[in-house]
Parts: sequence; structure tokens; C-alpha cells
Amino acid sequence: MKLSEDEIRRITLTAINEMGDDATPELVKKAVSRAVSKLDTQPDFSKSTSSNQGRLILTSFGLNQTGVVAKITTELSECGCDLQDISQKLMDDFYTLIVIVDISGSSKNMSEIQEKMNKIAEALKIKIYLQHEEIFRQMHRI
Amino acid sequence: MPFEFEEILETIKMTEIEHFDIRTVTMGISLRDCVDRNIEVTKQKMYDKILKYGSNHVKYAQEVEKRYGISIANKRISITPLSIPLDAFKWEDFVEVAKTLDKAAAEIGIDYLAGYSALVQKGFTNGELELLKSIPYTLSETKRICSSVNVASTKAGINIDAINLVAEAIKKTAEMTKDQDSIGCAKFVCFANAVEDNPFVAGAFHGISEPEVVLNVGISGPGVVLDAIKAAGSCDMNHLADVIKRTVFKITRAGELLGRKVAEQHGIPFGIVDVSLAPTPAEGDSIGDILMAMGLADIGGPGTTAALALLNDSVKKAGLMASTNVGGMSGAFIPVSEDQGMIRAVENGSLCIEKLEAMTCVCSVGLDMIAVPGDTTAATIAGVIADEAAIGIINDKTTAVRIIPAYGKKVGDSVDYGGLLGKAPIMSVRNINCSTFMGRGGRFPAPTRSLTN
Repeated sequence: MKLSEDEIRRITLTAINEMGDDATPELVKKAVSRAVSKLDTQPDFSKSTSSNQGRLILTSFGLNQTGVVAKITTELSECGCDLQDISQKLMDDFYTLIVIVDISGSSKNMSEIQEKMNKIAEALKIKIYLQHEEIFRQMHRI
Repeated sequence: MPFEFEEILETIKMTEIEHFDIRTVTMGISLRDCVDRNIEVTKQKMYDKILKYGSNHVKYAQEVEKRYGISIANKRISITPLSIPLDAFKWEDFVEVAKTLDKAAAEIGIDYLAGYSALVQKGFTNGELELLKSIPYTLSETKRICSSVNVASTKAGINIDAINLVAEAIKKTAEMTKDQDSIGCAKFVCFANAVEDNPFVAGAFHGISEPEVVLNVGISGPGVVLDAIKAAGSCDMNHLADVIKRTVFKITRAGELLGRKVAEQHGIPFGIVDVSLAPTPAEGDSIGDILMAMGLADIGGPGTTAALALLNDSVKKAGLMASTNVGGMSGAFIPVSEDQGMIRAVENGSLCIEKLEAMTCVCSVGLDMIAVPGDTTAATIAGVIADEAAIGIINDKTTAVRIIPAYGKKVGDSVDYGGLLGKAPIMSVRNINCSTFMGRGGRFPAPTRSLTN
């Protein structure tokens, strides 16, 4: 384990506070190992925790063709996503589809689902965007 | 459905068609604790600290981009004005430290590292003088380091000696980077009333009242505002201001969300959202085009300053309503080389430096990314900076000059940097001698705050 100067300073201060003049090599060793084990339990910010929580909004549009909605929704249900609302509009040959997707119960995280949607979009020559619901709430609700 | 069909499509339209992106997430890191009397130790401490906080900066920003479907154009780091921790060092040492910082920036994959700066509005310390001396060497020997010097403030007045030194440094930088169209000058800006939490380069630095580490975000989005104004058609000024406010409100909210999420990933405090309409050289992503959509035949004619004032004021109002953490510059930027509309206006002969100077009285910064002939004298550049600084201190606003005396170029030529820095046509500057005035040196006293007529 690599300790920063700051952490070493903190451990030293803790040891001084605890032992004062009564310090013996054993006591120092104990205090240090206790302080170091405490360091280990501090939260690790390097892990991302929020990538498979909450609701996503899927927006898709392109040239209307048979089975577009089926392909997208089948893939989503295979990922274990819950579809909470679907809305579709047709304008001449073009369709727009919006799906509210809850991925809390899914074994896949957002980027894995995005990956699968990208494959469908490429195969059917359509556009599929998958964004977290928060961005819409932030932009359109006060 | 929790959102209207149109609301969802509006967001998609903004990001996919109207170039709405977040210009920058800038992590501010204090380097005040990284000093040692041994320069090698100092370098190592600074390198380690930047890697400690910044290693995941690009990765986290990319994760947030994916999650919300909005791209973040630049990932940057700003540091304590370097003259503060390095006050005891000589100019050669400053250059060495800059190279180390450049290496750290490359290592973590960020676009720019800014804060090679000095705040000398009232006077110099020895270290600040050394930093000023080192600027041309640093800008020519590093790639990602951006530098700034604050030469004036409403409280302190204008340090004319600093302006003269800065003008010399700009000339020398232009010469030392002549092989790349004097690109060094594009990475240097001279300020009056510099702000401490600005996330935009070249002027970003981590101010002395800032915390240990902080995450600031700068929005963008002229394309979105442009389309909203076009859609509004012929309406009166009141309605026009309202259209701008509604649009900027939404992009500020999006910007704040992304900034907060990146900060959350890092586990560091979120600082401010800088509500600035920052153009890019992409077609349609232009402040110039917005002003023309408001009804001007071209930029630079009568009405331009008023149109820009309306835009700038509406942007600020919307930003303040949308977020309680507004800071930085917050307004409309008018960099010439980074804005197709402005470039066209210069090439048409509609826009000159004097009109740009007037526009800086009402925009958020100043004379930005302006290329002038290579034979422009240091005294003339000093005069241009002093004019801008005077506008800043008298009107109690931030002003800045980022000017490029492009080595060997003359009016009619242009310099092309590609990317976000864009392409600047060389503008003519009046070479009427001001060297006797600027040569007086000393300090221009702080202005009065009453009798504001």
C-alpha cells in the first residue's frame, strides 16, 4: 500500500494523541496498524455505482419498417428491462418511438444495453438514443 | 408519460442537430502544498498531485457523456497560479516545471492544463517577474499548457509596467512559435478583473480562495440559441429576450447536471457552472450568426453592440434562474477565429478591431483570438491591452485580450490552427504610435465608484 504524506501525518498525530509519553514499540505498532486498517475502509470513489440505476428514455426514429418496435422491445426484455411506457407517432414514412425503460432489475448496465441498441440501429439503419431520465427532468421541469 | 413527446424530441434535437455540447469540465487543483526548495522534488510533487486527482478525469467525463447522451468537448485541469507556489524560483525553473505539468497533462489525456499565471494588477513579486519572463519559452516548448496574467482590477487599477512586459512576451511568443502560425499566443490571455473559477482556457486558473480541489463546468450552445431565434421569427425585443432566456435556461440545467455528476464520480465538490455561449468553428455554432438572426445584415455595423448586449444580458438572467452556482465568465464569447460568423464579417470588411472593442463593453470577456499583422509593435499591443483593461476596471467587469501578432503575416493572410481554436484572418490594427504614453509606466490609479456617468 502506498501512503500519501498527508495520511502518514494523520496517523502520526493519532498515535501521539493516543499514547503521549507512554509510547512503547508495541503500542506504536498497534496504533499504526489500526489507523491503516481504517484507511482501507474509507469509500473508494473510483468505483462507479450509478450506472445501472433508475429509468432511461429510449428515443428512436427513422424510416418506418416492419418489426422495428418488436426488435427493440424484444432486446430490451431479454436484458431484463421493464418497459413502463411506450409512445409512437407516424409521419408519412417516418416513425418516432419513445420508450421509458426501467433498468433497475436488469443484469446489464446502461452501456451494455446501449451497445445492443447500437447494433439494432446499425442493422435497421435507424437512430436509437438511450439517455438517463434525469437529463429530461433537469431540462424540462423546475 | 412523465415527459411530453415534444420535450424529449427537443432535447434530442439540441444535441444531435444544434451542436449542443458541454464545452468543458475543468478540475481545479491547488498546488500550493507542492513546493520544496529542491526543484526536482517540487516537480515530482506537482506531477503526483495532478495524477492523484486527475487520473480518472477523462474516464469519468466519458461515462457521464454516455449516460446522458450529451458530449463534453474538452476535459481540462486548472491549477493555482503557478507564480504563487514557485515564487522563489528562477525563470528557467518555471519552464522546467511547465514541461513536467505538460507531461502530466498528456499522461492523463486532458486537452489543456491552465494556470501558468500571475496576478500582478498592483505590483510584482520576484517570482511573478520570473514567470512573465518565462512565458514565451514555456508556450513554445509545451503543448497543453495555457498561460494568463491579470494586469488590472477595479480595486487596484492598471499595472502599466505589467502590460508592457506582457506585450513584449506576446511578441516574443509569436516569434518563437512562428513555424506553427504563432500558436503560442493562442494559449495566452491577459486579463483585467480575472475571475478565480473560470473553467475556460486560456484564462482558467484555480484561484487562491478556491478549495483544495473542485469541479467547474462551462456550457456552450450558440447553435441551440440560433435555432430558437430563427424559430421565433419576427417578434419584438421583449419576446426575443424571452426566447433566449428559455433556451439558455435549459442548457444551463443540463450543464449543471453533467458537472455535478462528474464531480460526484470523483468524490470532489462541485464548484460553478459558467453560463457562457462559447462558439466553435462548426457551421451554425456561432455568436455572429445569432446576431445576424436577430436582424443585423452583418456583424460590425450599427446595432451590433446593442444586439450583443441583449444576448449577453438574457444569457446571464437565464443562467442565474437555472442554477444557484453560476460563476466564471457567464455571458457570450466573441472569439474571432472560433466563430464562422465573425470570421466572415472580418473577411467582408464589416468588422474591425475598434468595433470589437466596443462589443467587449457588453460581452462577457474581451478581444479574443484576434490575429494582427506580425509587424505590429509591442507598444501598439500594449496600447490595445491598456484600452481593454480600462474598459474592464471602469465598468467593473472582466475584460481580456488574446491577440496573435502572427509572425511574417500581413492583412489578407490568415492563420489556421484547426480544432476548437479555428482560423483567424489577419485584421488591420491602427499603427498610430502610443509608445510615449505606454512608456510612462507605473500604475494607473483605481477608478472612482461614484459619479458613474
